[in-house]
Amino acid sequence: MKIVDIKNLTKTYNKNRGIINLTFSIEEGEIFGFIGPNGAGKSTTIRTLLNFIYPTSGSATIFGKDIIKDSKEIRQNVGYLPSEVHYYDDMKVIDLLKYSAGFYKKFNPKRMKELAERLDLDLHRKIEDLSFGNRKKVGIVQALLHEPKLLILDEPTSGLDPLMQNTFFELLTEEREKGTTIIFSSHILSEVQKMCDRVAIIKEGKLVKVETIENLTKNNLKYITVTFERAAQMDFELEGIVKKEVNGNEMTLLYSGDIKALLTRLNALSIKDLLIEEPTLEEVFMHYYEKGGIEK
Amino acid sequence: MIFKREFKRNLKSLIIWSIVLSGLILMTLSIFPQFAQQQKEMTKLLEAYPEPIKKAFGMNELNMGDLIGFYGVEIYMMTTLLGSIYSAILASNILAKEENEKTIEFLLSKPVTRSQIVTEKLLAVLVNILILNVVSTIASMIGFQFAKDPDVPTDTFSLLIIATILLHLTFGAIAFMLSSILKKTRSILSVSLGVVLAAYFMNVMAGISEDLEFLKYFSPFKYVDAAAIINDNELEPLYIFIMVAVILISILTSYIVYRKKDIAV
Repeated sequence: MKIVDIKNLTKTYNKNRGIINLTFSIEEGEIFGFIGPNGAGKSTTIRTLLNFIYPTSGSATIFGKDIIKDSKEIRQNVGYLPSEVHYYDDMKVIDLLKYSAGFYKKFNPKRMKELAERLDLDLHRKIEDLSFGNRKKVGIVQALLHEPKLLILDEPTSGLDPLMQNTFFELLTEEREKGTTIIFSSHILSEVQKMCDRVAIIKEGKLVKVETIENLTKNNLKYITVTFERAAQMDFELEGIVKKEVNGNEMTLLYSGDIKALLTRLNALSIKDLLIEEPTLEEVFMHYYEKGGIEK
Repeated sequence: MIFKREFKRNLKSLIIWSIVLSGLILMTLSIFPQFAQQQKEMTKLLEAYPEPIKKAFGMNELNMGDLIGFYGVEIYMMTTLLGSIYSAILASNILAKEENEKTIEFLLSKPVTRSQIVTEKLLAVLVNILILNVVSTIASMIGFQFAKDPDVPTDTFSLLIIATILLHLTFGAIAFMLSSILKKTRSILSVSLGVVLAAYFMNVMAGISEDLEFLKYFSPFKYVDAAAIINDNELEPLYIFIMVAVILISILTSYIVYRKKDIAV
């Protein structure tokens, strides 16, 4: 069953780009990544789905219900974590969570305590006094508390330390085992790779591609910087090199081949330093898609 | 939920305003007995006031030695003006604050409709205004007991109270409408307060100068003029109609705007 079904969704602001003609759908029970650089239209899409803003044209359904007409009904079963969490300063954490819970049909105080404990969140502190990361935790508990069927998480990991990110991913995995569908927006490729089944890649308001993670990682694009002892290794050729740049005794590669083959090759050379990184999203877009060089 | 939350959030300011307004009413009414005793001298003194001043504050048409007349000149000015300021402050914040402080993203992600948000916040404004009026009315009734003859005509007094509430609701509704349209709470507050004070001074100016008399039609304060209500013992139907119309149009506009608005923080 399609949990989210988006058809030709367009939102144009006065000046801003917004989103143009998005069409894709999300299946029940999957973790769906939504990836693109900042300002690509991820948040705009999410806000349109939640009816904070009205689409200029096109339509979308969630649980088979219209996002505008049935928005209230939809939101009964949606948990939303905004990218920037803003809450009422005069409330304590527990006040906010109770206020939030009051809007839904069910409230489970035990679940609230459990979630707070796992995220190491003090329920009795004033929200005003919380750090950015701790506010984010309040947001996470608030989104998960009513056990929604669909979780919409806008850049959920920003502000969380790595340890907390792990706990958070654990929580998501548990939710998924219960059958919850999760939409997860991010501009960090590795994070999305770790969690998601499929991703929609969005750029400048347009959908570039919907792809399974499997396909995305099969090509396993890496950004490699090699520093040689001497500046004379121009003839470095290997299958899987998408792009090569040489600058003095430094060579940068965008590489999608077998990592072992690369290491064997490098082993024979006199290298001073080696750096293997995730390519930035921009690089993925530029070389993986636009040129379409290695896709097939 | 939202109503309860708003009521709680605004309770402190309601209590402060209630105490200050009641205190002023009681203090002013406590000097009435002396005032009435020396009425003859007082009346002479007042007659020495320049005509425009007397007109501006309705002193020429009301007998200030009379308890209801004293109320109409002294207390009524405070309840109408201060209450209107309170209503404007309260209503101008209530919707826009969520957008200004970006908490609206939280609220809108809950299963509530936009209309529900408007309705509950509107209800909070209405209840707060009514409570302030109940408190100030009780304070006045207690204050009346200072007088030797504490009786005031119930029907006239009731009309004055109704007029005060209508006036507060008028300014409250205008401020609420601004709150639904604009996003920056500070500018809404300045505009709302500006409307109240401009209306008040237009009324005063209209009393002072005959050339400016036309101004009175623009001022809701004129619609609820104490002298007219006390002397005629009725509210002018046209003025009631205008105020009710302003209230309804403002509320309707708030609903229409808020339901269709893009709310992105």
